[in-house]
Amino acid sequence: MLEIEGLSKFFGGLEAVSSVDMRVNAGEKLGLIGPNGAGKTTFFNLVSGTLKPTRGKVTFEGRDITGKSPHYIADKGIVRTFQGINIFPDFTVLENVVLSCHLKPGIGLVETVLRTRGSRRKERAILERSRAILELVGLDKLADAVAQSLAHGHKRILGIAVALAAEPKLLLLDEPLGGMNAGEVSETMALIDRLWHGGITILLIEHNMRATMNLCQRIVVLNFGRKIAEGTPDEIKANPDVIRAYLGAGGHAA
Amino acid sequence: MIPSLAGITTVCLFLLPLLLSGPYYIHVFILTMLNIVLAASLRLINLSGQMSLAHGGMMTIGAYTSALLVMKAGLSFWVAMPISGFVTALIAYIIGYPFVRLKGIYFSIVTIFFSEVVVLTAQQWQSLTQGAAGIFGIPRPNPVSLFGILHVNFSSKVDFYYLALVLMLICLIILYAVEKSRIGMILRGVQQADSLAESVGIDTTGFKVLAFAVGSFFPGVLGAFYSHYISAINPDAFAFLFTIYILIYMTVGGENRFFGPILGAAVLTILPEVSRPLKAFEPFVFAAVLIAVIFFVPEGMVGLPKMLNRALRSSEKEPTHA
Amino acid sequence: MSTAALSQSVLNGLALSGIYILIALGLTLVMSIMGIVQVAHGEIYMIGAYSVYYVVAVLGGNFFLGIVASALFVGGLGVVLERLCFRPFRGRADRAFTVSIALILILQNVVLALAGGNPRSFSSPITGVVHVLGIAISWKRLIIVIVGLGLLVALFLFIKLTRTGQAMLAISQEREGAALQGMNIDRISATAMFLGCGLAAVAGGFIGSLFSISPTMGSFALMKGIAVVILGGLGSIPGAVVGGLILGLVDGVLPALTTTHIAGLVGFAAIIMILIFRPQGIGGHAG
Repeated sequence: MLEIEGLSKFFGGLEAVSSVDMRVNAGEKLGLIGPNGAGKTTFFNLVSGTLKPTRGKVTFEGRDITGKSPHYIADKGIVRTFQGINIFPDFTVLENVVLSCHLKPGIGLVETVLRTRGSRRKERAILERSRAILELVGLDKLADAVAQSLAHGHKRILGIAVALAAEPKLLLLDEPLGGMNAGEVSETMALIDRLWHGGITILLIEHNMRATMNLCQRIVVLNFGRKIAEGTPDEIKANPDVIRAYLGAGGHAA
Repeated sequence: MIPSLAGITTVCLFLLPLLLSGPYYIHVFILTMLNIVLAASLRLINLSGQMSLAHGGMMTIGAYTSALLVMKAGLSFWVAMPISGFVTALIAYIIGYPFVRLKGIYFSIVTIFFSEVVVLTAQQWQSLTQGAAGIFGIPRPNPVSLFGILHVNFSSKVDFYYLALVLMLICLIILYAVEKSRIGMILRGVQQADSLAESVGIDTTGFKVLAFAVGSFFPGVLGAFYSHYISAINPDAFAFLFTIYILIYMTVGGENRFFGPILGAAVLTILPEVSRPLKAFEPFVFAAVLIAVIFFVPEGMVGLPKMLNRALRSSEKEPTHA
Repeated sequence: MSTAALSQSVLNGLALSGIYILIALGLTLVMSIMGIVQVAHGEIYMIGAYSVYYVVAVLGGNFFLGIVASALFVGGLGVVLERLCFRPFRGRADRAFTVSIALILILQNVVLALAGGNPRSFSSPITGVVHVLGIAISWKRLIIVIVGLGLLVALFLFIKLTRTGQAMLAISQEREGAALQGMNIDRISATAMFLGCGLAAVAGGFIGSLFSISPTMGSFALMKGIAVVILGGLGSIPGAVVGGLILGLVDGVLPALTTTHIAGLVGFAAIIMILIFRPQGIGGHAG
């Protein structure tokens, strides 16, 4: 589904991502791990269009998306979440999802201003779909709360809901479990699993090793911008290069 | 906005000229209505998170375009006026693409510069604009007859008043419709979280340009109105200070609500005309009000009731802390 | 055109360059270090001009004394403004911008109230010409170029040699990153305002010595400053120097070579082109 060849990104003299080759197969649950500063988020930025690669090629479903703008890539089916600002803070929870919902064909500019019958029908459809998504992620009771006022864990889930509303075929999750307690972690993992069952391919960056190993079928390990290992969770756990990368960097292992 | 309140206000505005004594006050109200639309349209651009100071330049372009189309190309005012609006919208659309890529304060600077370039072009391009002296003798709008009975030939200020009133209502309805539509929601989303909006498929650059272009349509139209109303236009008519005043109306009125700029423009245009001492010290009063708003009432005048409410309620209850 | 006339024009251009550079540097320093568009910069420049006028025409002092006094006074004013008006809104560029707007109204009208609206002029004690290679060169303009150059060198040394200067350079190039390195933002911002306003004051004094002063002279400076900053690069300090040099020479030399209104247009046509194709200017990085 997603083919990455020789992807590299230089910032001045610093090589943040270095000749990474990778493939994500449709219907997979793939984990991307590595010590802090390994280049994982930069990698996501390159794939999602937030950053332009210095070298390399990214192909999605046969289409070359290298260096395209983020909204183009999102429109083609790759949606990512963010570690930082992943919600629209001043909108309500429901509005967050409503904004992110598109339809194909979407609501036209003129028809939305004129509030034609067609556009109102589409808006109702969006509203229904948004409520369904909120139910799916378990935030439906909080639909009218202002996003900024949510607890941290709920904000992260809302971020996933927002991404979901954009109808991803491939979902790039950037540390979705960040700052969550154990209960929230297992709920979110279950949610991600449900999404996967629903047909969405998952590519996940996470520091929570246990969760990643449990969830993902396949793992790719980055260190200093390079891919150093790839395989099933068991293979990775036993891989000496991986162990060295984490111990050497003082990171935490599984 | 309570619809019935808006309805009543509109009716009052239609009846107002009957009450006002003298053309001077009619002029004040015409200016007020222009300022209201200018402030409200500036706010549309502001919704997407861009602080534009190009309104002065757009107004100048609109004024000259209409004057020249009517005087040199022989078009009717009623054709020239909307064209002026589309010209400024188009210019905004073209310069919008390179401009909106710039970060907030830099976007503002280049819009300031744009307005200045317009002024200088008007001063220097003498063959087109007659240079620094400006254009005189701009004809009044062509006479119209409404419903076959009412004949308006724009020989008195009252005629212009009603034209301004109709224009204002149409413009505000358009602005309100845009804001309440999905476009408005997208613009607000872009302002809150630009990258997030991109990541869910929203063309943030495109929408920022759209806001800039649509917002710049209105000063174009009003510029056309103005030049035919005053019968003259010169390059400095809408210089930097003009745009600053519109910004003040919007900020003092409250940039977070649709009604804010309307309130701000109305109060700040009318008050100095009613109170002589206020007029004499206008710049100081405006500066003081502006500073007061920024420091103490960031929501602007529209936010005042809520603030007072909160203040009153918290002084009634025993202080409890969450 | 004769060599004499050409070199006069070039000198005029260089003098204008010096003035534009001083204005633009002030604007850029504040913009790139404090992250705000200080649109009252023109008014600061105007107050600088009036301060020099006060020292020279009212107190009967020496022109250079006037320049120094003005720079110190206006620089100090800048520090006060930073503390009262801009520090509370650090990080809120839109609010700081609005404060700047209020400042324009206040500063312009205070001076208007105190000094009246009529243009004034003071005679700079520097008159006459010096003959270099047989060409008469106006002392006034030569002094401006020399002092301007001197200030530039001083600023350059300050940035290169002092810790505050280095910090300022770092912040101007990468605002978010630098803030994390524990620099004393308060002191650096105050310094930026002090320098920026001081430079503007000197520029105002120079213009006053060449032409006249009035309470509304500020908008000229603001627009030139903005033009230079856009040309040379948004956020770029070296760009302000390059841009000021170019624009000053264009404004000084072109009118002598062609008719005035073409000259005016060329300068701005160039900048419009830059705006459309490379809005961040020659050296800037404002994306």
